[in-house]
Amino acid sequence: MNVEGPSFEPLNRRLSECPAEFLAEPRIGRRGLIHVDAVVADLLRDLGGVQRVVDLRPFRTDDPKDRNRLSATLVAAWLLHDDAFIGGRFGEAVLGFLVADIPELAQVVPAPQLVTDVDRREELIRLALKALGLRPAGESAAQAQDRLTTVSTVERRRVVAAARAAEERARAIREAMAKKAEEEVAARYMRE
Amino acid sequence: MPAPSESDLFPRLNEDGRRLLRRLREHPAAPRYTHQIGDRLTPEAFRRVREFQTDLETGAATRGWSRETAPDWCASHLAFAYREVPFYRRRGAQPAQLADVPTTNRRDLEAEPWAFVPDSQPLDELVVYTTSGTHGRPLSVLSGVEVSAMYLPLLRWALARRGVTLEGGPGKVAIAQVCAQRFTFTFPTIATYLDQAAMIKVNLNPTEWRRPDDRARFLDDCRPEIIAGDPIAFAELMRLPISWRPKALVSASMTMPPILRERLEARFGPVLDIYSITEGGPIAVEDRGEWLLFPRRLYVETVHSDDRPCGDGELGEVALTGGFNAFLCLVRYRTGDGGSLTFRGSQPVLRDLQLRPATVYRKADGRLLNNIDVTMALQRFSLDRFSVFQSAGGDLYLKVAGIEIDEGEIRKAMLDTFGGGVRVAIERMTAEEGGGRVPEHRSEISFQALLEQGLW
Repeated sequence: MNVEGPSFEPLNRRLSECPAEFLAEPRIGRRGLIHVDAVVADLLRDLGGVQRVVDLRPFRTDDPKDRNRLSATLVAAWLLHDDAFIGGRFGEAVLGFLVADIPELAQVVPAPQLVTDVDRREELIRLALKALGLRPAGESAAQAQDRLTTVSTVERRRVVAAARAAEERARAIREAMAKKAEEEVAARYMRE
Repeated sequence: MPAPSESDLFPRLNEDGRRLLRRLREHPAAPRYTHQIGDRLTPEAFRRVREFQTDLETGAATRGWSRETAPDWCASHLAFAYREVPFYRRRGAQPAQLADVPTTNRRDLEAEPWAFVPDSQPLDELVVYTTSGTHGRPLSVLSGVEVSAMYLPLLRWALARRGVTLEGGPGKVAIAQVCAQRFTFTFPTIATYLDQAAMIKVNLNPTEWRRPDDRARFLDDCRPEIIAGDPIAFAELMRLPISWRPKALVSASMTMPPILRERLEARFGPVLDIYSITEGGPIAVEDRGEWLLFPRRLYVETVHSDDRPCGDGELGEVALTGGFNAFLCLVRYRTGDGGSLTFRGSQPVLRDLQLRPATVYRKADGRLLNNIDVTMALQRFSLDRFSVFQSAGGDLYLKVAGIEIDEGEIRKAMLDTFGGGVRVAIERMTAEEGGGRVPEHRSEISFQALLEQGLW
């Protein structure tokens, strides 16, 4: 979150006013209305910054288990099709966000809550900004990260997992140190 | 723990190296060696040292380095540090510029050496190197097995500038490291990177040898290409009837008094003075009163106390970024040494380098004592800081800082080191002294004066 991005409130308002079409049934197999892959393709085109042919298969599926993920993708697409991002060459970062972060969020949050619930709206907005390397205007990087960790169950899980991984790694190094401390080290070729 | 095997110690040892090692171990004039050590250089580590040598020769490491800009590789090094190294990553977002990154210091490293190891670094070739440096409290420096061998291309580069070639090769002793202390680890070893040549480390303290004249006999017989040491060890070397002239002497760790340099050059040949610290390895070599930085991936700057970079030629503290140790990612690591950085053409140089002086003390019986011996005597007390001062009359004044200070035991250790007739006063450091730059060793027994008067 190195770069200051747009203000939070306009994005919050936009998300709360998400049109009904973006909450309609996503196309899964032969059922549903909204072709999520087409919506994503349009979004990426308008954002700019994607120089290659994009694989949209993650957004085309026959599996009903993907329903919430695709619905959440539609809501995120609505959010990100804002003037704050259009033409800003965020295409690659947004694609990464839709492929990696939205599925994780969709495991814990029903898509409609991303619009109707105050905290879940904030979570989606802050996760999206972070994925784009942005922080809300008027906040420092530390403040933005702190707030994200507070509102986001997904982020909290990541922080806990990262802390656990870091502690396990530190423990592995300390164990290796204890083992190696008894071994003869290699000689140094000059005084220091 | 089972003793390491020969192949653990020397993964690349061959019959030539084995034969030479046996000769040095069994030599009739050899010292009573106190240690056994190998180069630990695996074939993969050997390859990394060769790559390092090639990098040195191409000058890639200094590309882009100017008065205004850090070398080209620094940006990716910084990104790597903030992505992969716990100590930096947990600070949050990576600052846009290196100059905005807070400095680190020895205390950070002491507290959690594991936090400086990149996440992706495998641990199987880890070695743990313990040093006291000038501080007394041992520091565990995590290192890769190749780090020691990486000193050799740097040494070769510095020697080549003086027209000296470090050849190595089977049957030869490439380097003899000499010390003059009460006690230190001494050993013969094989540097397989130098094509199975040997390195020996000896202590010129006569009690470490079967006969005092074995010191000169052994060194003459070994015919080392290079003799390495510190000024106090070299002063002791001067007293021995050695007839062998090495290609060069390499001094490190303390400031070399000019009078000693003159005498060593007249007796033995070229003297190289190298600025090197355990955490970063060799940093610079003295050249016409300035210190030429080694052309390696080690960015050297000087910084103010508030972390701002110093201007061209401005005095500050030497700080390091980069390095060759895969287990110790350095970003603006404060060395504790003062100096100024400028450029000689396109070559960065350090000036006004304030290194540890060659401090000597006098024991109760009049014999002289190396400051390293005093550091070693205080090591077991795990002091945060210490400062030792000896007056011309021989009285000792210690200032110490730490959590648990046993003054009685410290006094005993000093009396054991200096002899029973010395008066010892011990005080705690004030908070200001503890946080400041109080020198560890000071003495009114002048090493320079002793040399000038021919008393050494």
